[in-house]
Amino acid sequence: MTTPVIGRLIEALRCLPGVGPKSAQRMAYYLLERDRQGALSLAGALQEAVEKVGHCSRCRTFAEGELCPICSNSRRDQATICIVESPSDVQALEHSTGYSGRYFVLMGHLSPLDGIGPEDIGLELLAGQLDNGEVSEVILATNPTVEGEATAHYISEMVRSRGIRVTRIAHGVPLGGELEYVDGGTLSHAFNGRQDM
Amino acid sequence: MSTEGRITLQQAYVLHRKPYRDTSLLVEALTPDFGRIGLVARGARSRRSVLQALLQPFQPLLLSWSGRGELHTLNSAEAAQRALGLGGDTLISGFYLNELVMRLVPRDDPHPGLFASYCRTLEQLGSTEQSAWPLRLFERDLLQELGYGLQLTHDSGSSQPLLPDERYCYHPEYGPLPAVSNTADCLAVHGETLLALATGEQPDAQYCREAKRLMRVILQVYLGPRPLASRELFKARNTYTKRKKPTVDDEE
Repeated sequence: MTTPVIGRLIEALRCLPGVGPKSAQRMAYYLLERDRQGALSLAGALQEAVEKVGHCSRCRTFAEGELCPICSNSRRDQATICIVESPSDVQALEHSTGYSGRYFVLMGHLSPLDGIGPEDIGLELLAGQLDNGEVSEVILATNPTVEGEATAHYISEMVRSRGIRVTRIAHGVPLGGELEYVDGGTLSHAFNGRQDM
Repeated sequence: MSTEGRITLQQAYVLHRKPYRDTSLLVEALTPDFGRIGLVARGARSRRSVLQALLQPFQPLLLSWSGRGELHTLNSAEAAQRALGLGGDTLISGFYLNELVMRLVPRDDPHPGLFASYCRTLEQLGSTEQSAWPLRLFERDLLQELGYGLQLTHDSGSSQPLLPDERYCYHPEYGPLPAVSNTADCLAVHGETLLALATGEQPDAQYCREAKRLMRVILQVYLGPRPLASRELFKARNTYTKRKKPTVDDEE
């Protein structure tokens, strides 16, 4: 039997992704038995994050102020915009590419069957930035899914109609992979996108 | 047709998919023998799974599944052939097809003719830039399969064959009537437009536009008031894109 307070804690922990009733109960008991200090700092951190983190008014990623650190960094190239689907894509690109321009985070992709249209992914804000005349290249780094491709195409038309250069990241065989085990779609993309040597 | 037991290597196309639990996908697929079915693809979103890349719309598939009830369990999936080369605007046309099927076709209701027409339409979309006419023929076939087939060859009043140059008044339920009875709830069309829809031969642009308007009005009757999101997407494109002149004949 759980007391009402513990019951509420277990129910609250279940909002985390991948946490069912059993794991939630384990977490709740662990925190109460072993790590009450940790529980307090978790509660504080959650409270603070929810109160202070909003969206960057420029690129829509998470930010604690008006602008995110990348948008407010004057050393980044403001004329190049890389378009991604989620904030975790920004992290992935920052980690491994050395890209020095700025980002625009769609927070999703166009998906008519889910009712997600252009206004839901912030294309109005993007159109405004393109019209400013400060942008010289747009890099489309949406996911290589059907919806991601449709989104990339939709945005590429927007960008091209304004006479701005637009590029799409390449899709290909993973490093260290073996062709035999690569799925057919990736292989055909890689083959069609081959380059001169 | 019963969908109990184990089904192996059934031709299929994914219409829609969404995340389910932590690592699974809920997939809606269109098949020839079982119609539209709901499948759970367990573990499809885990890091090592190749299923997520495979279970995409417009990829011809062979699916095996088991289980009874509303949702079946996907056992295996393999590519039947290369993905159809849909890109750009034809992708949105493809979404339009999927949305129509999702909205109008109930689950577990076999429509072999619909599957054949769906395949044919995707192939045509993949091979041409002109995507408007194949969509009209798909709409015609879809209505036919659902039991709302259109009268496209004879006048519903007099049962006389339609004449290409004559104008008719098309009523969504009764079919074409001579244009004299011009009331608010029907649409004026040329015989040429209706005959072209009947034969499948693409007519001149003027009649294509007429067919588009006609189909839109008829589909509206069955779709109800909620708009089609893929159609809205086509429309919204002009507001975000700086065009010199708006195109008159967008695909949808």
